Amino acid sequence: MSADPALTDVRPADAPAGGTGPADAPTASPGTAPGAPLLSVRDLRVMFTRPGGGRVFAVNGLSYELRAGRMLAIIGESGSGKSVSSRAIMGLLPPSATVTGSIRLDGTEIVGMPERRLRQLRGTQVAMIFQDPTRSLNPTMRIGLQITEAIHLHNKIDKKAARARAIELLKLVRLPAAERRFHDYPHQLSGGMRQRVMIAIALACNPKLLIADEATTALDVTTQAQIMELLVDLREQLGMAVIMISHDLGLAASYAQDVVVMYAGKAVEQAPAEKLFARVRMPYTRALLGAIPRLDATPHSLLPVIGGQPPNLSVMPTSCPFRPRCPVASDQCAEIPPLLEHEPEHRWACWHPDGPGAADQAAPVAAAGAGGAAGPAVASAQPPAAAGAKTLTTPGRAGSATGQGER
Amino acid sequence: MAVVDVDSAIAQGDPEKGPPAPGAAAAPGPARRRVWARRLQLGVPIGLIVLIVLACFLGPVIFDVPRPTNGDILESGLPMFSDGHLLGTDQNGNDILSRLLYGGRASLFIAVMVNLIGVVVGGGLGALSGQLGGAFDTVLMRILDVFIAFPSLVLTLAVAQSLGASVRNTIFALSFFSIPAVARISRSAVLRLRELPFMAAAELSGTPRWRVLLRHIAPNIGPQLLSFAMLNMGVVIIIEGALSFLGLGIPPPDPSWGNMIFDGQQSLTATPWLVVWPSIALMVTVISFNLLGENLRSLWSSR
Amino acid sequence: MTLASTPPRAAALTWLSGAWAGVSSSPILRIIIKRLLMAIPIMLGVSILTFWVLASIPGNAAQLQLGINATPEQIATLEKQLGLDQPAIQRYLDWLGGLLTGDLGRSSVSSQPVTSLIADRLPVSAELVGLAFVLSLAVSIPVALVSARRPGGIIDRIAMVIAATGQSIANYVLALLLVLIFAVKAGVLPAIGFTPISEDLGENLKGMVLPTLALAFPLMCFYTRFLRSDLVDQLQREDYVDTARAKGAGPWRVLLRHAFRNSSFGLITLVGLNVSVLIGVTVITEQIFAMPGLGQLLLQGINTRDFVVVQDLVILFAAITVVVNLIVDLLYVILDPRIRYGSR
Ligand SMILES: Nc1ncnc2c1ncn2[C@@H]1O[C@H](COP(=O)(O)OP(=O)(O)O)[C@@H](O)[C@H]1O
Ligand code: SF4
Ligand SMILES: [Mg+2]
Repeated sequence: MSADPALTDVRPADAPAGGTGPADAPTASPGTAPGAPLLSVRDLRVMFTRPGGGRVFAVNGLSYELRAGRMLAIIGESGSGKSVSSRAIMGLLPPSATVTGSIRLDGTEIVGMPERRLRQLRGTQVAMIFQDPTRSLNPTMRIGLQITEAIHLHNKIDKKAARARAIELLKLVRLPAAERRFHDYPHQLSGGMRQRVMIAIALACNPKLLIADEATTALDVTTQAQIMELLVDLREQLGMAVIMISHDLGLAASYAQDVVVMYAGKAVEQAPAEKLFARVRMPYTRALLGAIPRLDATPHSLLPVIGGQPPNLSVMPTSCPFRPRCPVASDQCAEIPPLLEHEPEHRWACWHPDGPGAADQAAPVAAAGAGGAAGPAVASAQPPAAAGAKTLTTPGRAGSATGQGER
Repeated sequence: MAVVDVDSAIAQGDPEKGPPAPGAAAAPGPARRRVWARRLQLGVPIGLIVLIVLACFLGPVIFDVPRPTNGDILESGLPMFSDGHLLGTDQNGNDILSRLLYGGRASLFIAVMVNLIGVVVGGGLGALSGQLGGAFDTVLMRILDVFIAFPSLVLTLAVAQSLGASVRNTIFALSFFSIPAVARISRSAVLRLRELPFMAAAELSGTPRWRVLLRHIAPNIGPQLLSFAMLNMGVVIIIEGALSFLGLGIPPPDPSWGNMIFDGQQSLTATPWLVVWPSIALMVTVISFNLLGENLRSLWSSR
Repeated sequence: MTLASTPPRAAALTWLSGAWAGVSSSPILRIIIKRLLMAIPIMLGVSILTFWVLASIPGNAAQLQLGINATPEQIATLEKQLGLDQPAIQRYLDWLGGLLTGDLGRSSVSSQPVTSLIADRLPVSAELVGLAFVLSLAVSIPVALVSARRPGGIIDRIAMVIAATGQSIANYVLALLLVLIFAVKAGVLPAIGFTPISEDLGENLKGMVLPTLALAFPLMCFYTRFLRSDLVDQLQREDYVDTARAKGAGPWRVLLRHAFRNSSFGLITLVGLNVSVLIGVTVITEQIFAMPGLGQLLLQGINTRDFVVVQDLVILFAAITVVVNLIVDLLYVILDPRIRYGSR
């Protein structure tokens, strides 16, 4: 697999789809320029109102950008707002959610868009696949029909053509015996095959952006690798951008080009993958690295967790939200650290990116990390992953051999 | 007869399970209103039930209400607001209000007794069956199957017929069909409970079964049975009315809402209110119990 | 048992197990057979229970027919004629044997065969129940769909208040109120009576309106509430709904094509469970509207101690319950591919 998707870009749009190397810094300005990102999320906030009147601040000022044809990993603990923020891109939040900020997809603002227009967008511009392929397919409908439904919703074509297209899609996602499987019901397929069908549905109308929300979490390790490979290949083949959501930094390290780490509804660290893993700055990201499940652990065993309570989302934070669990917190952390581009392309929101006293506050830090002492809260046998070069190899997964080749 | 039958109550799950009104973003105002709505959910039906019970049982004691039977035939068919007869009198000269209140006593007493018997006997049998398992469970379940395939009203009618019409026999006849229902509910609740770790712990630590039953199971299935009993109050009141309506419940001249409706039906054209008053009493009571039962259920299931 | 007989036995066994394998590979056949096997002890239990309860009713048809002035000799003669002098066990076995050979016996009162009594009255009850079912489903399904489209919306609230109230109304109360309003006050519909379809379809339907409404309205309310909450549940909790919406499907398509089909299982179960209650409700409704249906036959039977008729009717009702539940199971198989393809 090559890092540069210098590829068969089927779609005419998305000029910068290929070729741009990591040196190509993400443009800070949103919007209209020719090199503009495909997706630009600015200060996104999502608040839920509970039936009893309580509120949940699920996303609190999330910003990131994604250029066409790239794969972005959004990483964070469960409850950090990954799903909610990406559902906002689809306009798929329940009525109890209040969304503010800006989401621009290919220059079009999505926040506040009327449902009718959102519907035209879903499937054709953005598509999404979900965590549990057992539940995300309609159990009473043949899979072929579920795919052709997606085709018919946006294209005026006859049944036969739709069927042909559906089978083509099933072949594209490498479902064995596609013609025969066309008439199967979801329960007749294995988990991995179901997820392939989900991907086929998502691809039915050539979306520019595919969101995979923990798409491999419910699968076993081998299948997980196969599905990830498939996503990587499809991204190259079709030139679409992919957002992969995971709580697993290892997966991001293996497959993604850009990484956003979320905590309490915010991005806390953000960089191209190789930069991030070369030198992890946020104590939270370090803790996540420590929490990577290992190959030798039984599949589906409980993930190692970061010690301490996840943040309370019913109140707006007034200090660094990670403070109660942070091993290197200081008095300064009573103030919310801003997310700044401290190094080229590498942003983080932390007052002590290298542990206490290593360097002072917001000034970009160039010093070599003496982070060995960092992350004592990490509840794992793995060495705290501060030494970047080493970490790059730590997230051992089935697919990582190829994944590493990208860098 | 009400369509709220027991099986459906099981199958139905919780009708109010959907989160209440996912209305868009809300200011504190509506939020507070919603908190109040929640309190009212229990408050309104409880208030109504207390009111009805007080009226029926204390009303005739505190206020000077005419006798419900042996009325003066000369005073028959008086309209509403007649002197001394707020709701008028029936064909026999009996005070309608008084008959409503005394009839309510009978209905409520029967319903409470039937449910008490249902919960104690049926709940006990079901819990025992679920806890013991084995042959006892198999036999009991087959017997319950028979009762469930049996059209309940027919069974009740036959029992009422064979025992003769009286309050005691009505209670007995109605218990016949409330016991199997409660037994099934409590059995399945116990089976579900047994899956939980704390039950396994109790059994592993050698606690005797009857103790497990009393100490752990009873308090846990209590709320479920209570909300079912409330829903069932309405059903029993309606069926009791049906029995009386068919002449197999409370024997005239003693009043019950069912036999008042039946009596009134015969002169529906001339004096419709004879049907309307007991019907309203019946409806309000049943609605109150249904509301209470349902709201209790959604309360404990959302816990 | 000789050795020689063993091979054919073994062969028979193999054949049997082969046949069973053939049967069990078809879920539909398997379900039918399983259900029917389960029905045997249930029906037997129902027959015993019925007989026992009826036998404990004081008085019998002979005493009731001859009145209180009859001499013991007269009663004894009639009892002998009617076969009531036999011991209870004997009578039970005779009756059961008759049932198994398709002979339902004769009425102790009119001495007509019960089969023809039932045949006369079955159409009336069947028409009533059928109409009530169709009406309740025809109203509750659209109302539930519209309510689930916007939970908490104005239509939903109104529908749910009406449904919650309607579900609590006693059927006989509703029947009388309907008579009061439409027959007594407005005078547009007949209060009682029944015209056979064969005589005049228009009159027949006119006479059916009020009883059908009285029967259907509480059912309707019940189904509406159930279906609505199940639909809302599907919409809010099920991932496949998200998938459908993520494709760009509109709210109605999501409701009709996706959620409704999955909710229909629950509704069908409910309808099946309702049958035995519905039978009781029909008895009362027929009584109020003076309709010559099975319910009336049953009440007459109980009042005149015509126990053979009552027993036969109870068995019929129980059989209907069993059959309806069998149909529910089969519908499940047809609607739910997970069962049809035998993976569940
Ligand atoms: N419909 C909802 N109503 C209220 N709170 C919600 C809703 N959906 C999600 N949340 C809350 O938002 C937070 C973020 O959830 P989510 O984005 O699903 O996390 P994750 O990062 O695991 O995907 C969680 O605390 C969750 O409880
Ligand atoms: S800002 Fe302070 S509390 Fe927050 S992550 Fe950095 S060191 Fe820890
Ligand atoms: Mg999630």
